[in-house]
Amino acid sequence: MISWSNKARVKLRILPLALIVTTVCLFAATTLLYIWQNQQRAVMSATVQGSGWVAYQAQLEYVKSRVEMERAVARPTGTALEALQLRLELLRSRLPLLYQAEEGKLLNEIASLKSGVQEFEVMLDTMLDRLPTLAPSEIATSEEIGTWLDTVEPLGRTLQSVLMAAVAYNGDLYRRERELAAMPAIVPLALLFISGASLAGVLLLQAWRDRQRLAAVEAATAALTAMEENLRAVIEAVPASMTVIDPRNDTVSFINPAAATMVDASPDHPDWQRLIRAALEAARLGDGPRGTLKMTFAKANGDVVSLCGTLCSVIFEGRAQTLLVLMDETRVRDADLQLLQAAKLATLGELSTAIAHELNQPLAVIRMAVANAHRMLAADGDRTAIAGKLDRVSSQVERAKSIIDQIRRYGRIPSDSLDRFSLRHAIELAVGFVAQQYRASGIRLTIQLDIPPELMVVGEQALFEQVIVNLLVNARDAFQEKALDHVPSVWLRARSNGAEAVIEVEDDAGGIGEEMLLKLFEPFSTTKSVEKGTGLGLSLARSVVRQMNGQITAGNMWAGACFTVVLPVSAAVPAREAA
Amino acid sequence: MGGFSILICDDETDLAGELGEFFTTSGWSTIVRTTAPDALEALHGGLAPTCLLTDLRIGEFDGAELVTAARRLPPHLQPSILAIMTGHVVDSTGAGDFGVDFLYVKPIDPDVVLNDLELLLSVRGDAPQEG
Repeated sequence: MISWSNKARVKLRILPLALIVTTVCLFAATTLLYIWQNQQRAVMSATVQGSGWVAYQAQLEYVKSRVEMERAVARPTGTALEALQLRLELLRSRLPLLYQAEEGKLLNEIASLKSGVQEFEVMLDTMLDRLPTLAPSEIATSEEIGTWLDTVEPLGRTLQSVLMAAVAYNGDLYRRERELAAMPAIVPLALLFISGASLAGVLLLQAWRDRQRLAAVEAATAALTAMEENLRAVIEAVPASMTVIDPRNDTVSFINPAAATMVDASPDHPDWQRLIRAALEAARLGDGPRGTLKMTFAKANGDVVSLCGTLCSVIFEGRAQTLLVLMDETRVRDADLQLLQAAKLATLGELSTAIAHELNQPLAVIRMAVANAHRMLAADGDRTAIAGKLDRVSSQVERAKSIIDQIRRYGRIPSDSLDRFSLRHAIELAVGFVAQQYRASGIRLTIQLDIPPELMVVGEQALFEQVIVNLLVNARDAFQEKALDHVPSVWLRARSNGAEAVIEVEDDAGGIGEEMLLKLFEPFSTTKSVEKGTGLGLSLARSVVRQMNGQITAGNMWAGACFTVVLPVSAAVPAREAA
Repeated sequence: MGGFSILICDDETDLAGELGEFFTTSGWSTIVRTTAPDALEALHGGLAPTCLLTDLRIGEFDGAELVTAARRLPPHLQPSILAIMTGHVVDSTGAGDFGVDFLYVKPIDPDVVLNDLELLLSVRGDAPQEG
């Protein structure tokens, strides 16, 4: 992995831009230079063609015309006049060429003389018109032509200056030609080379950056592939059952070995559909956090396993699918149930004295009623009264039976199924189990159940009753060996709080030590004697409450301890299911 | 043997009623109370029964306290025999621990109780009350 500092990254971003700007500038400069050179060469080519020749020809014709004029002044013969006529016409034809030639267009000195030259053209036209009218060999003709010599004098000077300007321009052209010749031809080539090199630099830099990016992408792809392979290896190694479900048709896309062992190695096995439907239903109806579920599943061999797990969305094979993770907690659950059973039996042992007392009451009544019935029979007494005694015996037998049923119900091995049950009914059953014990111990038990019978929670009812019994037994034991100046009291309260039900068991026995509060729910934490407690009651109570997706906490109130159980209230069962 | 009186105190109404009926048919004058305060009121009211038979736990009231209260009555109002019955298992506890003459564990055998009471009364030479 390559790591750059921010400064280096900024430089790498600016460098291509600078190279591009340089390339554009150099290219523009090269182009302008090329154009300028071409222009210079064109100008030289054009002007070299003229190169002052027109001015020279005009000057030459002027001189010839003056010579012919001077001849005509000396001897104004017809031949002389005709020769003068020819010369003046040639001179007249040369004059427009002065400003129409390249020099006339390029040289300001010549261009500025255009109007003056045109005046001379008019003058020459006048002379040419006059010349045919002059009589040969006449003194007047000689004299008039003599005046023309003075008239054309300015034209001679003008032509001289034009010639000089053309000559000077030719000199300048020569100088510029030499400069062009002296200018190294390598300059534009070098500029073009630098421009091309900059462009190549830009391309190379971009290619380098692309290679860097490609390398990074390849590295990321390799890392992703390795991660996927590792993840797949982990998924296949974990003991949890992991199944990827295609949500389009709820079919199996992937199963790990644990899942294959639990259900079947073939994703097409019909048991998979059964498992998927059950899991989706359990997640939908579950009261736990979103996506969590608890369920039971009957395996093909008939074994029923207790499963807990989660459902979540994953990207698998490039599309969104559902990952189902399930843990077989059957063994843990069985161990928990056995532990709970042991704790319950221990509680039963603790309560045996109270149970004996509870059973002795109906037995005592029965014995007395039987004794009285015997006496009535011996005295041949009233049969109706005897029947009344038998009814009393029967009712007391029912009373004893209900006590035994309660004990049997309490002592039975709890199932591992989670069902909806009436919270109020469960609390009342638990209270019924310890009520006599409270009476026998002289503890005032105040019950305040502000919840309707139809308020339901989800869990194993027998285990929840055990939780309440444990809390009430603990509250009773809190008064043991304590000298109190008041009637010992315990309050059992239940209320609904929105989507939760809150159950509180509070006593006024002085509270729990701060040190013990910290480890109260840890296994084998107890303040009771070995004969009194296993130290597992509160730990198991926490397990049971957590299994119901609830919480149990403990704290000290004004006069004693208060245990609070918070449980989620189960949603109402749809009419279809209830039916 | 008859002419004796007994105050029975037990919050178990059926049991108290049956006990009362048993002693009545045995010739005893029987007074049944189902709360300790009612029993105390009867004692303080000059009932002076021959025997006091009380449950050990009467609601929130301790039967032993009723016995103690009976013992504090003026001599002519004190019952001759004090007995406690209990539904609890009392392996290592005896009547002496409560300062009474008899301690019975429910379910009690009424004939045994009747015999015990009448035997003790005869030993003590208590004469039946004039009915």
